[in-house]
Amino acid sequence: MSDKKITKSRFWFEEHEVETISEVPNKKIKPWASDAKLDVVGKPISRIDGPDKVSGRAKYTFDRLLPDTAIAKTLRCPFPHARIKKIDFSKALKLPGVLAVITNEDAPSIPWFHESTLFDSHARYQGDEIACVAAENEAIAEAALKLIDVEYEKLAFVSSAAQGMKNNTPKLYDSGNIHHGKPTIYQRGDAVSGFKEADVIVEDTFTTQCAVHNPLEPHGSLVKWDSDHLTVWDSTQSVFGVRGKVAESLGIPENNVRIIKQYMGGGFGSKLEAGKYTVMAALLAKKLKRPVKIVMDRQEMNLAMGNRPDSTQTIKAGVKKDGTISALSQKSFGAAGAYPSGTGTSWPLRSMYQCPNIYTEEYTVFINAGPGRPFRAPGHVQGTFAFESLLEQAAAKIKMDPLEFRIKNYAEIDQVGNVPYTSKRLRECYELGAKAIGWNKRNKIAGSGKGSIRHGIGMASQIWWGGGGPPAKATMKLTADGQLQVFSGTQDLGTGSYTFIAMVAAEVLEIPMDKIKVVLGDTEICPYAPGSGGSVTAPSVSPAIRDAAEQMKYKLLSFAAVLSHEPIENMRYKNGVITSVNMSSTKYKIEDLVGKLSEKEIVTHGDREANPEGMAIQTFGAQFADVDVDMDTGKIKVNRMVAAHDIGRMLNRKLLENQFHGGIIQGMSFALLEERVIDNNTGKVLSTNLHDYKIPTIADIPEIEVIIASDSDPKISNTGVKGIGEPAIIPTAGAIANAVYNAIGVQVKDLPMTPDKVLKALGNA
Amino acid sequence: MNTFEYLQPKSIDEAQNNFNEKSRLFAGGTDVLGLLKDHIESPEKLINLKNIPGLDKIEYVQGSGLKIGSMVKISAIAQHPLIREKYTVLAEAAESVASPQLRNVGTLGGNLCQRPRCWYFRGDFPCLRKDGGECFAVDGENKYHCIIGGEACYIVHPSDTAVALLALDAKIKISSNGKIKEVPVNDFFILPGDDILRENILQPGEVVTEVFIPEPKANMVSRYLKFTERGSWDFAIVSVAAVIEKSVNTIQNARIVWGGVAPKPWQDLEFNKNLQGLKISEDILKKVTSTLFEKAEPLEHNGYKVPLVKNLTKKILLQIA
Ligand SMILES: Cc1cc2nc3c(=O)[nH]c(=O)nc-3n(C[C@H](O)[C@H](O)[C@H](O)COP(=O)(O)OP(=O)(O)OC[C@H]3O[C@@H](n4cnc5c(N)ncnc54)[C@H](O)[C@@H]3O)c2cc1C
Ligand code: SF4
Repeated sequence: MSDKKITKSRFWFEEHEVETISEVPNKKIKPWASDAKLDVVGKPISRIDGPDKVSGRAKYTFDRLLPDTAIAKTLRCPFPHARIKKIDFSKALKLPGVLAVITNEDAPSIPWFHESTLFDSHARYQGDEIACVAAENEAIAEAALKLIDVEYEKLAFVSSAAQGMKNNTPKLYDSGNIHHGKPTIYQRGDAVSGFKEADVIVEDTFTTQCAVHNPLEPHGSLVKWDSDHLTVWDSTQSVFGVRGKVAESLGIPENNVRIIKQYMGGGFGSKLEAGKYTVMAALLAKKLKRPVKIVMDRQEMNLAMGNRPDSTQTIKAGVKKDGTISALSQKSFGAAGAYPSGTGTSWPLRSMYQCPNIYTEEYTVFINAGPGRPFRAPGHVQGTFAFESLLEQAAAKIKMDPLEFRIKNYAEIDQVGNVPYTSKRLRECYELGAKAIGWNKRNKIAGSGKGSIRHGIGMASQIWWGGGGPPAKATMKLTADGQLQVFSGTQDLGTGSYTFIAMVAAEVLEIPMDKIKVVLGDTEICPYAPGSGGSVTAPSVSPAIRDAAEQMKYKLLSFAAVLSHEPIENMRYKNGVITSVNMSSTKYKIEDLVGKLSEKEIVTHGDREANPEGMAIQTFGAQFADVDVDMDTGKIKVNRMVAAHDIGRMLNRKLLENQFHGGIIQGMSFALLEERVIDNNTGKVLSTNLHDYKIPTIADIPEIEVIIASDSDPKISNTGVKGIGEPAIIPTAGAIANAVYNAIGVQVKDLPMTPDKVLKALGNA
Repeated sequence: MNTFEYLQPKSIDEAQNNFNEKSRLFAGGTDVLGLLKDHIESPEKLINLKNIPGLDKIEYVQGSGLKIGSMVKISAIAQHPLIREKYTVLAEAAESVASPQLRNVGTLGGNLCQRPRCWYFRGDFPCLRKDGGECFAVDGENKYHCIIGGEACYIVHPSDTAVALLALDAKIKISSNGKIKEVPVNDFFILPGDDILRENILQPGEVVTEVFIPEPKANMVSRYLKFTERGSWDFAIVSVAAVIEKSVNTIQNARIVWGGVAPKPWQDLEFNKNLQGLKISEDILKKVTSTLFEKAEPLEHNGYKVPLVKNLTKKILLQIA
């Protein structure tokens, strides 16, 4: 019997259920027990790439340069909506140092997005690509952009989803501004009769802003051709995803394209797909027969590299006097920008609590602005804020403690798929979180405090997928010098993949971390692993690492058994040394075993096993916020956040806290500060730098306590790990909003909750 | 950024002799380089003031007052023990400017002469202040714009130190064609109604050399309160500088100046007069501040600045008492 088989498996990547067919281990490795005493996994180990990063040795894509590299810059449409009538770049080409210009006239027509192409003569947003220039250096490339004469026919534009929803507005596509021409509808039970059963009905509209990812490292690529083979150093969350798209765009086999990414300064979802810039650079490089580097500036980051779509959500809840939710409905719309992107926000409402009757209706609207891209828990961040805010109203109306209200509607099974969960420890999260924040210190009646500074405590729940699944692969090579190399085609976005991968290998093979070298993010030398999104990296990759390591251990034991003429059952493995239970003299160091082989290496290949059938894998959690609101200025100060989560097995306490701190800070910033601002009169973006687009400073950051309520989820995989990247950000804005309500007794229903809006809600402005 | 010539004169005369219509003075460069990179200004010459001796001194003469050279770093003002003690409002204003990095590079002269932060002005919009045809803010995104003093253009003056200096009754020394003139802070800054293309009276080639602040009365106390959306590295939504002469808790003299509300640091002499002789208490202050900015004409999105002015003024006076 083969040790592998081909099987189907399912898992959720961002908001999409994917069915995969892939090779998985035939024999599943027994999961570590929930209470297993592990030596390395779970420990607060500092990231292994830390010294490289703090010393500046780490090379990011941004830092890479090859001899003779030309620098490319993109000319972007300055108008929200226009048609190119003529492009004349003859002046640009005459500028000394300019090497080449490509536009829609000479570049191949490469399909991109919805009904569009790489350089489309129909520019649908301020920032759409018009031309790309390669020059000897950046200054020349930039100067050349100014010398390109473009004659535009300016078109009427749509600058908001509300405007785009109307009939008599300008159209981005012949088929209209609503994606697919109709809403996405989800129904469960019968909402109409469910609302009739209710004693109390609450309904309200909440809005959330468009937010931009703004990772520290901008998007960019360095590309180089060797005859018909292309190498791309890319700042990406998905080396294999980029490989596929680049190969397809250029019409060359995938194996002719190599994508490399070693270190990265964040992506948050905006780097999951290939960028037009990579293909433009490849076309220029081909033309010039030189390497080409292209990197976005902050303005391009804020215009054209993706965003979290805004939302307008009208939510209704029917509640019985005892607190039971009898029906929920949601009607919402959001701006995808100029090209398709998910704007749905109703997943938390559909899945978070027990509710038999649900109706949701959601519209994705095209507007003349930068296209959305997945952004750390797409839809869930917006949806959780609105839904949890409405529940706060419902709890107040029936005079029930908001936490008790949520526990009353605890979902025991996944109602969307009508299947049990592999594990759910949300009750423990509620209990531990409430204790840590001091839940009983909240105002029993919202807004009942006195004085100019009002204190409040609030909470919100979190649900997300994050179970991962196959295919995710790893190759392991043990050499005669005792060094272990691990290869996997996943990537480390700054999230710590290098470290947890080494930890899992070190756990199984009981060798020191410094003997392990992890190689990621290279399509030519690493086996396949999925894109790093949807919180799937650790839950997909860690079991494959363990699989490869267990096989390595087994091979070493078998080899020792052969050498000592004993059955393998007699062999014992400890700290990289194999002994026999019978013969005290038998003692093999693993490196010596490898040294006896002519090839001087042992190679194994691990795979992620299939997910269990008929079960839902979800992460859960609850965050609690402690805030002060200044009644005189409307300023909200978040004093403390407590995050209590069920994330299966924790791989590394330090990396975990990094993820939670990052998620909570980003979520707080979404709640209070960040907003992409468009001028409705001109359709142009005003917040194109990091001064006008406000991300928080250290002075804004609250105290954060992270509590893990889970030990492991052995039903998922041999490591029992669920993802954490996205759960960390999901409930933050909702918890802060509810704490603000608890402090001042009115809700601020429009994010971000800036002082002007708080003063307005208080009736002071 | 366009190419430009970079001059490093050793004296003010040399700087001025080389100055033409297409020149810009360059102090710390934190503002001027941003303007160049964003193509808001494209000078042909940048004239660096750093090599001119004598402009970076802080001198205090007992009984007379304090002289601060225009090339003194914002951070030096924030940290200066004497300024912290005697001219607290200025030290606090300086400390609230931008970020530590910017304060270590930016100078007092540059801070006073920096260009406005209106996002249309800083962006790709041909607005009136750039000699274009319209003001985009007046019916656009004007949450950060002025509520008083605007006329055709609705910027707020971005400088924090200017607000404190007006409250301290400071004077600005300007070198003009070899002569030195001294103007009160209030006359240094101008409104869009005076000239929409400039924020101050400086003529091409004129250089701010020094700021003079008179000796404070023994019973003077002063504070600066800056309200921002973000915890640090943010311009004022509204700020208040308060310079008070008091005996016990009665105000004898008050100079209150607001930032973030008008195209120049804004004062209300009537209000200052009304404060004279008042005993400081929450109720009294609530009453006197309640009628502040009755003449304000907020735009669509910035009306919230009016209650902010009132509440912050009350707050700073209570803090001072
Ligand atoms: C991100 C950011 C945030 C900021 N936040 C704040 C803030 O919160 N509060 C605040 O007050 N400021 C803020 N600033 C402004 C900052 O303080 C100023 O940029 C700085 O003080 C200007 O000093 P500088 O020496 O670098 O000026 P420069 O950039 O060198 O010059 C600025 C302008 O002044 C002119 N100039 C300079 N010196 C003289 C002189 N002696 N005589 C005549 N003209 C002169 C120059 O020609 C130029 O037009 C911020 C700036 C940035 C970039
Ligand atoms: S407020 Fe002034 S600077 Fe801003 S757009 Fe209007 S005219 Fe231009």
